[in-house]
Amino acid sequence: MKKRLKRLPRRQQRYRLISNGLIALVSFSIGVSLRFQANAASTQKDLCQTIVSHQAVLSRQQLGQLLAVPERENREAIDAIANEPYCTLPEIEVRAGVTAERRAYPLAFDPNTWLVVLYEDEEYAGYGFTLQH
Amino acid sequence: MALRFSIKCGVGAVLAILLTACQQGAPPVRNITVQQTWELQIGNRVGDYRISSGLGDITLELEGNPVYMPFDGKLQPIDDTCLALTSPEVPAYLFRLCGISRPRVGQRQQGNTIGRAQQLVFATFRKEPDGTWALVEPATALMAKFLSE
Repeated sequence: MKKRLKRLPRRQQRYRLISNGLIALVSFSIGVSLRFQANAASTQKDLCQTIVSHQAVLSRQQLGQLLAVPERENREAIDAIANEPYCTLPEIEVRAGVTAERRAYPLAFDPNTWLVVLYEDEEYAGYGFTLQH
Repeated sequence: MALRFSIKCGVGAVLAILLTACQQGAPPVRNITVQQTWELQIGNRVGDYRISSGLGDITLELEGNPVYMPFDGKLQPIDDTCLALTSPEVPAYLFRLCGISRPRVGQRQQGNTIGRAQQLVFATFRKEPDGTWALVEPATALMAKFLSE
């Protein structure tokens, strides 16, 4: 019994060493993952080619109406809901022989999130959400 | 005894944290419904053999050279040999890349290497109003962007 009591502090020491090691490992892994996230955020590039309207935003109501428009609809259907975009992105040819036009609309209730709309000729092709910083 | 148990729990917790941290980067498998219901499509079989390309696919002889991200986007596995690339910057489109060995999937940035391929089997899909994806002819300039940094 006496022997056992004597050994306890050493055991406690070992326990402390292990728990400190675990804490260090956890904080290291959290640090690494945060760094990765920071890297991803800092390398965000500017999507815009031409700024159209600095105040342009989409309200919740406009966003809801816009998402309800089916692909292949005439682009007038989008123009009737949204006002001017914040900016236009560089033109891109995805399909052979068709030049696509892209416009970006920041959300009024979440300005870091932009809705990107793609048009081909007079046709609305689709949308995407991108995070801006 | 209680000490051993607590150490075991601690190690278990750290392993669990590390595992979930790693798994966060692995995107789920992407299932796409192709609008064209052709019988002889990639992944289907003729007898005992798997079809590696069909109508609408373009095969490039890369001979082990790298394939790059043409824009920021998300790479997801479709199956063992094919990947799907989508980007909010290029709405309404999906790119299928097959034949890339040991690709790096997840959220990737423009210019990042996707992986290397002997033969790259490339297809471009455009989103249909019913949610299916239609094979379309890709622009040469866009394909070239996949091949240079």
